[in-house]
Amino acid sequence: MALEKELAVYHKKLPELKESEGKFVLIHEEDLVDIFTSYEDAIKAGYSQFGLEPFLVKQIHALEQAQFISRFVDPCATRRAS
Amino acid sequence: MRHAAGFIDSVPHFTLQISSEGPTLNASVGVSQPRAAALKTAGQPVPKLMFVRALVDTGASCTCIDPSILTELNLTPTGVVSLNTPSTGTTPQQAHQFDVSLFIPAPSGLPLFIHTMPVVASELLAAQGFHALLGRDVLSQCLFAYNGEFGVFTLAF
Repeated sequence: MALEKELAVYHKKLPELKESEGKFVLIHEEDLVDIFTSYEDAIKAGYSQFGLEPFLVKQIHALEQAQFISRFVDPCATRRAS
Repeated sequence: MRHAAGFIDSVPHFTLQISSEGPTLNASVGVSQPRAAALKTAGQPVPKLMFVRALVDTGASCTCIDPSILTELNLTPTGVVSLNTPSTGTTPQQAHQFDVSLFIPAPSGLPLFIHTMPVVASELLAAQGFHALLGRDVLSQCLFAYNGEFGVFTLAF
């Protein structure tokens, strides 16, 4: 799955990130690059620093918050969330 | 209600007929502004905006787009979220998130333009008559009025 490495870093570092609940973390490969107040700023920094290389922007939640869609659609997903 | 009506008159808005699919509208989706800048820096072309038929869906916490649109925009994921739908049962499924820009034209006043926002790719939208679900993340910037008695809806932003 794309971004699997970055997602693993997020989960590994989550205990340290709990103070930044609700903010957005930028992760590139195995590096936690920075934390941002807004999604826009994190995405901007990602493209500015890494260009078109893969990077992950994820909102920090100590407890993963699921999005909900009440309509019958098939998410383009990779696997069940743990 | 008077307050809401006054607000609508003072900001860009439109009123459309509710179609058989529900409150649908025309919008355009493109790459986000930061991605457009990165593409230019890399000497690559910036994909043109893609026209989409979108359903305003208060039952969706996030905006979803058919993967065919995201493929045309040559996007790669920049996020992963947990997602619950009727098809996922009680266990959320992980879904890729993509950064895009969204443009909704308004006959009166400025259009709604979001230069960078996350969307989730979801299949089966095109088969249902639309390419996108406009979720509550977009509606959080709007006033949405569903007038079932007259068969119209109004979106103001």
